[in-house]
Amino acid sequence: MKTLRIGIFVLVAVAQLAVPASVAWKREQTFAHGRIWKLKTAPVDPVDVVRGRYIWLQYAISEFAQSERADWKSPIYVVLKEDADGFAQVDHISQTPVSGDNVVQADAGGWSDGTQSISFPFRNYWVTEKIAPRAEQAYRENSRRGKENAYVTLRVCNGDAALEQLFIDSQPLADYLRAQDAKK
Amino acid sequence: MPGIINRRAVRWLRGQLPELVAAGAISSENAAAIERHYGSVESRTNFGFVILATVGAALVGAGIILLIAHNWDDLSRAARTVIAFIPLLVALALIGFVLMQRNESRPWREAVAVFDMAAVATAISLISQTYQVQGTFDSFMRVWLLLSIPIVYLLRTTFGAVVYVVGTIVWLFDHWGILGGQQNPNFAWLLLLLVIPYFLLRYRQDCDSRETTILATVMLLASVMALGLTADFTKADLGCIAFAGLLTGIYLCGMKFFPRQDERLHTVALLGGIGIGVTAIVLSFEGTWHASHTLSWDKRSGSQNLGLIIELLFPVAAVCLAGWDLIRKQWRFSLSAAAFPIVAAIAWWIARSCDSSTDTRCMFAGAAVINGYMLLLGIDILMRGIRTHSIARANFGLVLIAALAVARFFDSDLSFVTRGLGFIVVGAGFLFANIVLFKKRVPA
Repeated sequence: MKTLRIGIFVLVAVAQLAVPASVAWKREQTFAHGRIWKLKTAPVDPVDVVRGRYIWLQYAISEFAQSERADWKSPIYVVLKEDADGFAQVDHISQTPVSGDNVVQADAGGWSDGTQSISFPFRNYWVTEKIAPRAEQAYRENSRRGKENAYVTLRVCNGDAALEQLFIDSQPLADYLRAQDAKK
Repeated sequence: MPGIINRRAVRWLRGQLPELVAAGAISSENAAAIERHYGSVESRTNFGFVILATVGAALVGAGIILLIAHNWDDLSRAARTVIAFIPLLVALALIGFVLMQRNESRPWREAVAVFDMAAVATAISLISQTYQVQGTFDSFMRVWLLLSIPIVYLLRTTFGAVVYVVGTIVWLFDHWGILGGQQNPNFAWLLLLLVIPYFLLRYRQDCDSRETTILATVMLLASVMALGLTADFTKADLGCIAFAGLLTGIYLCGMKFFPRQDERLHTVALLGGIGIGVTAIVLSFEGTWHASHTLSWDKRSGSQNLGLIIELLFPVAAVCLAGWDLIRKQWRFSLSAAAFPIVAAIAWWIARSCDSSTDTRCMFAGAAVINGYMLLLGIDILMRGIRTHSIARANFGLVLIAALAVARFFDSDLSFVTRGLGFIVVGAGFLFANIVLFKKRVPA
């Protein structure tokens, strides 16, 4: 009986460790080997930027000119390309699975007047409690119309898309906040 | 010091008993008597200690999370990953220790189980935060619950089971909150099914304990919520029968499986009884029967049809349970309460027998059936209260009758004189019943 209990415990322990570990491992692979993309963020609604301890990101490429409406019931595959400034642009949207380090799986949003809205799955940028208010303010100030000075880097590898870093004024968020503190 | 028990000494003594019996120093009857003595002493003192230990474990878990969250930015990703696993590794090490060394200590098992559940949640959330994983709260809860349930069985933890069921309720509402009636809540039934074997084990071991009652109560609450959301999801308009079935089933189970020597009801039966009363009041309004958003069979999805089967399961089970006891002539329950699913089904059938958009007479008739039933139920419970000298039960019967009167005061076209007379009759009934009961009690 005791042996059985220990055996079950070992299985449970492996499961409890494996779930977070597999997430971490997959993301480590994406960060190490994934192709890097820069996504320009879009101006935000100033009221609802931080919910809890994450910044709610919006992307400039969330709107894509397309004559036909994408089926919202199934996932869409957004094929990316780089523009002259090195930022990601949407090349085309596919309803059938496409593989490659330039493809991101997303959900189709609404469609109107030839514009397809894309709901990317990487919209929460987690920050800690300590820096959340300042991060919110920095992101808001640098994502206004007329001062669009924020972007994120995204790593794409084997279908996994991982947000790597939020850049504000061409600096990683933490460095930007530190520099702002030093100025005061 | 008299009255204080040295637990280490007791554990040692209990461990020595088989050897003492084998050596012939004491008889096996003596050993059993010693075991019984210390067993009962331990169970008396354990409850408070278990709660304290569990709360302590939860606080330690929360404290660790807060400590880690502080200065998190200054750490590298690798360091954060290692830290995220530390509470979980400590919890698993403690589980190993408990299984090997403290398997008979309930406080240890309960506290370590709650600590492990908190540690699993911590590891998943910290890893998600570190690696910018974009999961929803819904999927987080689902993974956490599925990883936590084996611990309930492994460590035989009732508080862990309570945390798990509360987690299921949280999942249900978060899942539901996203898109309302379009979300499939059936997974909640699977989550609840996973904890039922543990509840049965607990019941077989000690059906009268507070822990079993607490677990039963949260399971009942979760079932009621899950059924409400299932009824909304299936769009079969059978919620009234399903609820009547579930609450009657709870009442019958309370009466059958949690019998009491005195005339008081067990919490499970009491909750079922109150649920029957509240549901009957809701169904006594004619407006309730108007709500109809029925989908035909072919338009309903597979999961909606599964939800429909789940809905129908409860009234069928309640009728079978009552029928079985009636056939064997071994019932202790109120027949009028047990009849609720059948009455609800009859009222539903009457209310649906004409087109609701043009003719409201059928709905009125359906509501009238429930009104008549509720009056009967109130009188029956009142009589049972008077018969058994139970003031609480008699007053509950009167509350049902009064609630019926108040409900009709608001939605009927009766004249003020008739309504006034109705209230006087109900009020006089309250006074009369209580005076009779108190008079009967005083000589006793």
